[in-house]
This record gives sequence, C-alpha cells and structure tokens, in this order.
Amino acid sequence: MIKLDNVSLVFQGGSVALSNISTEITEGDFVYLIGHSGSGKSSFLKLLYRDTYQTKGIIEVVDMEVSSLPKWKIPILRRKLGIVTQEPQLLEDRTTYENISFALEVLGYDAQEIDSKTSTLIDLVELQENAYKFPYQLSGGEQTRVAIARALASNPLVLLCDEPTGNLDPDLSIQIVSLLEKINRAGTTVLMATHDSSIVNRRKKRVLELSDGKLIRDENEGTYI
Amino acid sequence: MNKLSYVIKNTFINMRRNPLLVVATVLAVLVSSFLVFTTLSGRAVVENNTSRWQNGVHVVVFLDDRVTTTAHKQLQDSLESYPEVRMVDYFSKAEAADEFKELFKDQPELVQEVDFEILPSSLRVNLNDPSDYTLIIERMEGNPAVKEIRASGEAIERLLSLTNTLVLAATVFAILIAFAAFILIINTLRLTAFAKRKEIKVMKLIGASSTYIRLPFIFEAIFESLLGTSIAVGLGWGVIQYSKDSVVAESIFDITISDTYLINLTLGLILTSIIFGFFASYVGIRKALND
Repeated sequence: MIKLDNVSLVFQGGSVALSNISTEITEGDFVYLIGHSGSGKSSFLKLLYRDTYQTKGIIEVVDMEVSSLPKWKIPILRRKLGIVTQEPQLLEDRTTYENISFALEVLGYDAQEIDSKTSTLIDLVELQENAYKFPYQLSGGEQTRVAIARALASNPLVLLCDEPTGNLDPDLSIQIVSLLEKINRAGTTVLMATHDSSIVNRRKKRVLELSDGKLIRDENEGTYI
Repeated sequence: MNKLSYVIKNTFINMRRNPLLVVATVLAVLVSSFLVFTTLSGRAVVENNTSRWQNGVHVVVFLDDRVTTTAHKQLQDSLESYPEVRMVDYFSKAEAADEFKELFKDQPELVQEVDFEILPSSLRVNLNDPSDYTLIIERMEGNPAVKEIRASGEAIERLLSLTNTLVLAATVFAILIAFAAFILIINTLRLTAFAKRKEIKVMKLIGASSTYIRLPFIFEAIFESLLGTSIAVGLGWGVIQYSKDSVVAESIFDITISDTYLINLTLGLILTSIIFGFFASYVGIRKALND
C-alpha cells in the first residue's frame, strides 16, 4: 500500500528532513509514526501525498509511483488518500454538514449522493447533533471529527493523519483514536503521526519512530519509549 | 453538470466579494473595447471614403469662359493623351448649375441668389494613380484655356494623415487602458484567491484538479471581460447608427461601413475579450495555486 525505498529529503540550505528511509506499510495496517517535534513526521506524510518532493529514493503509494508522479496526476493520487492535518482546516463560514458536503461537491457527486453520503459520514463521526453548527461552535475534538469525515469523502484507501490529537486533551484524543480504529476496521489503512506517548502506549500498534530524519525503530505492537 | 453548477455558483460568489473592483474592471474593459471598436470602425469609414475618392474625380480643371469650344476640346484631347490620366469628362455650365442646385438644395435662399452664369464649365480628370495630381497641375498651369485647377488630393492626404494620427493615438490609449484592465482583473482575482486561500488548500487536499479550482476564476475574468466588451460594442453600434443618421454624415462624410465588417469586428472583439480574460485569470491565479 505504501513503500519507501531509500528516501531522503534535504531542504534548500542543506538541512536534512529525512535520511535514507526504507519501509513498507501493507493494506489494512494501523501505524503510528512517532518522534519528537522536528523529527520529520510531517515531511514523511507530505512526501506520501506529494505536497513536497523527495531529494532521492522511490515512493509508492496505492500503486502509484509518487516519487516520479507528474503534477497533473497529483489530484488522482489525493482522491485515493484521506488527509487530516493538525489544524482541521475547516471553512469557517460553513456548517459541519456544509464542510463535509463541500468535499463531495468538489469530488463531483450529484446532489442526492452528496446528501446521503454527508449524512452517513456525520453518523460515522457521531456529529449528528452538531451537523448544523459552525466550526466556532464546535470543540477541538469535534472539529477534528469533521476534518476526518471530510477526509473520508472520497472513500480513501489510506488515511494520513498529521497529529490529529495535537491540540486535544487526553480524553478527546482517545475518542479520536477510537474513531480512527473504527475506520481502520472497516478496511482503510491508517498512518497517524503523533508525539502523544499515552495514545501510543495505550493502543499497541505498529510503530515507526523517526529521530532527526532517520527511521530508528519499526516495531509491531510498539510503544513510545 | 454538478461541477458546472459549482463553477457558476462560485463565479458569482467570488464576484460578490469585491463588487467595486469588478465594476472598475468592467469599466476599464468597456472603455478599452469601445476605443478599439470606434477606432477600427472609423478607420474603415475613412478607407471607404478614400477608396471612393480614388475611383472618383482627382483634378478639376475649370475652363475660361472666353475660350472657344475648340480650345476646350483640344485641352481635353491633350489631357487624355497623358499616360497618368485614365479618363476625362467634360462638365458644362448647365451641369455645374444642376450640381450646385443639388448640393445646396437645403438652402433655397442661396440657390435663388446665385448667378449660375458665373459657374464655369470644367474638365474632370480621373487619374490612374491619384497621387499624380501634381503632374497635371504643373502641365496645365499657364494654359490660356484654364481658369483654375483644383485637386482633391491635398485635402484627402491631410485627412488621411489626420486620421492615421488619430488612429495611432486611440490605439495607444486603448492598449494602455487594456493593460490597466488586465492588471485590475489580476488584482481582483488575487484578492479573491487570498480570501479563499483556505478553501483552495482544502480543495487541493481533497484531490480537486488545478483546472477545477481555476475554473471559477477563469469564468469570473471572462465574464467581466465579456460584459465590458459587450456594452462597448453595443455603444459602438449605437454611435455608428447615430453618425449615419446625422447631418454631419450627409454633408461631409459618407458613413458607409458594411454590416459584415461590423459583425466581424464585433465577433473579433468578443473572441479577443474571452482570450484576454482567460490569460488574465491564468496569470492572476497561478501564484495562489502554486502556494
């Protein structure tokens, strides 16, 4: 599903974000990408959805060779991925319902499909009571749920989450991870970047640990050391 | 169909964000297009009139009344023998009187007061090359049968020179205003793109293509450009119709301009405005999409 072969990312000016990363994530996996701030987690994820370009190496995501992907094919890749950023990036002038239906509208669904799919997604993230609230009326956790629902609009094969619990308290973080596990059980591969040790230690999943841009650990049922 | 409705809906949402800039843009396009339309139409009118002049009378040789008919005939034969001359017509005093009456039919007092006897007979010369009128003047000067020589060339040349200057000035002005319109469109789109930067970012993350994100901006620029041009063309047609009907048109200039020319000019301007809008939107939104 995801394969990196000797991938490095060096920024202009010479600072190394990632160095010789090789790893593979198979279909249906739930993987934590851990490491301290600045260890390269976000860069790792950005390479996967082609928001940045590797300096060397080969990257394959959902059967597409991302490392040599022409620019016009990036939207095709992203429609196979769900992307959740640390900031939920919700449109402030739209309700929960509209934020989710916006994604479906952009993806070209017709009005009837938009309505039924939006309702399904709202049910999935359990925001029925907040469907017609604006982002400023929602808590941080609820906003993250909206972002997750929006990311699922394209029925992605892989869900990439960049510190979705970064701004949340422990209880809300657990709720978000539970939601991601639910999505994973339904067949979507989940790769979640986090530096929240309590989450990682509570749910022992596969762990990829980055430090100074290097992959220093790859453990099944790993913990945050 | 759903994508089209999204694009159209967002085009008008975008325009609602900066109504003053939209109005300024439409006005700038309007002025620029109007200048182009009237300038090109004006030039066509001048060219039509010049063409008529080129096929008409270039030199009028007024004859002395005291000279005999034989002398008139000799002079006509002499003129016809010149290689520069295509045709020479004799215009009698009676014909001159008829022409005067026709020209000033709107001023009966003047017609009543004129003594038609003073109107001379003339030889009206048509040249192969109208610019050769000076040669005819040189050859006829000093001829006792000739009372006076008048050539239309000088006046026409002055008119053409003036027209060309006006066309050049209007073209430069139109280009400057078009450039201002171009910058206004880019500025309007950039402001809209900045206001929608989060929406654009989300669309890119979801997997919307650049074309799809760009389309509302392209539609907006083309709509503004097309609206300005359409109003300008409408005004231009109105001005031409007014000129055709005006007294000035009857007395000085014949505002003859073919409908085919005007339709082609209209279509050309509309097509140009679409390309103009498209190009402006491309430049305007490029940076927002690359960020």
